[in-house]
Amino acid sequence: MARMKFYCDAERCIECNACVTACKNEHEIPWGVNRRRVVTIKDGEAGERSLSVACMHCSDAPCATVCPVDCFYTTGDGIVLHDKDICIGCGYCFYACPFGAPQFPEEAAFASRGKMDKCTFCAGGPEEDHSSDETRKYGRNRLSEGKLPLCAEMCSTKALLSGDADVISDIYRKRVINRGASAFNWGVSFDNAKIKG
Amino acid sequence: MKIQTLLLLLCMMLPQFSQADGPPKKQTYPEGLLSLNPGGELWSDIRQRGDSVLDGTSQVKGVDSGILINASGVEWANFRVNELTTYSSIALAAVFVLIFLFFLIRGKVGIEGGLSGRMVKRFTDYERIVHWTLAVVFLFLAITGLILLLGRPLLIPLFGKEVFSLLASASKESHNLVGPLFLVSLLMMLFSFVRRNIYEKGDLTWLLKGGGFIGDGHVSGGFFNMGEKTWYWIVILIGLVVSVTGLILVMPIFGQGRIIMEIVHVIHVICALALIVVSIGHMYMGSVGTEGTLEGMKTGYVDINWADAHHDRWGKECHEKDLIISAEEYDKLVGTSSVNEADGSKTT
Repeated sequence: MARMKFYCDAERCIECNACVTACKNEHEIPWGVNRRRVVTIKDGEAGERSLSVACMHCSDAPCATVCPVDCFYTTGDGIVLHDKDICIGCGYCFYACPFGAPQFPEEAAFASRGKMDKCTFCAGGPEEDHSSDETRKYGRNRLSEGKLPLCAEMCSTKALLSGDADVISDIYRKRVINRGASAFNWGVSFDNAKIKG
Repeated sequence: MKIQTLLLLLCMMLPQFSQADGPPKKQTYPEGLLSLNPGGELWSDIRQRGDSVLDGTSQVKGVDSGILINASGVEWANFRVNELTTYSSIALAAVFVLIFLFFLIRGKVGIEGGLSGRMVKRFTDYERIVHWTLAVVFLFLAITGLILLLGRPLLIPLFGKEVFSLLASASKESHNLVGPLFLVSLLMMLFSFVRRNIYEKGDLTWLLKGGGFIGDGHVSGGFFNMGEKTWYWIVILIGLVVSVTGLILVMPIFGQGRIIMEIVHVIHVICALALIVVSIGHMYMGSVGTEGTLEGMKTGYVDINWADAHHDRWGKECHEKDLIISAEEYDKLVGTSSVNEADGSKTT
């Protein structure tokens, strides 16, 4: 059993939006719905940083707290999923989520909301693995095939990491140590890697 | 930022809002693992930046898509789940208990000398249609709204998630569809009753005498007494707030962001609950609470003794203008349809 997490390295993300495109393509996501997005702050200025953001699969998820129909559940791998058969499309999870992860397809007039869609950590939904229902509602289920989320797997700079929290923490820690130890690149240190306002 | 100042003001008005931590939840980590989040440090850095990360950009176009983190969402979620559901349940339970106690103490408020049978016209058909349209729409919205607010703690344990999801989905869709009708019927109510609901000289006496709730005697009143006028203005003003906030919530097409939605949602629920609580009192007073009041809204006519007791200044006017009709005349006017129905049932 692992505890699945995403981590985006702000020192590495180059805002290529490949993760966004990969996600849309892999899961056949309709227009207007984006399970992942890249946010750039201080665009074009000194200290510009980009981060790829999707559902962070919180351990104490506010979406699950506020959901009026209790449609969220956490898998054994610590992935927050939801049941679209239960979801009523009220939009409360979008208001509650700090990261803006829940998305709503526009169903009818005045932008009335359809059932919520969000990042599944490429782990499908409550339906049987690889069933046509699961694919239609939640997209592909890569995790059950032993694969990690496609966005992170195909990140060209390896800025976006996904997997067991312990493993990606180790990877990131090693990175930081190497950054700080470089004799030729003192400017990029752990402190600089943090977001500067 | 103005919005954040507003939110801060709201926080100060509601002392629990800023410290809403929620009940301690059991963490269900797989065995032997720490709650280690590699992104924790990065995101707490971002959170502490505050405003400077609010104006990011993103190739993904959408409401708030350039905002990295919206910290107020968690506060709103906890406030909704803890304070709103708890205090609204308490308020609803309390109003029923209070009304029951009032009924035990005062019983049905009668009229000295009983009903005379001689009637006087109080409401036109149009006025009664306006009243009952607003009443039915309001009750429908109140029930569907309460299902969405209190359903998870109260109804899911009873019906299970699948059945409740159907009910909640129907509630949400119909609440959204019927909602705008509330504004329409509210405006009809505003225009058809506004002239008689403007406060006048005698109203203060009504308030000073406790509106007849305290003590025995009836208090002097015009066509509407001060209590009824106040209820009217509560309906109109709070009703308008509920309507406008509802329209903001139901149509996310004006680019309103999450912080606006959170504040508007809290205002919508608190105002709607206030209306529901007071309306229960109104329903009691209009039906079981006082003798002869329901007739006015049922048939449009009230007993002249009722008018003299509750609205003596209007009653006096009715006497002077000779507007009173006899019991037989009243039967003919109001009872016609029921007589016809009875005849019809005989022949078929």
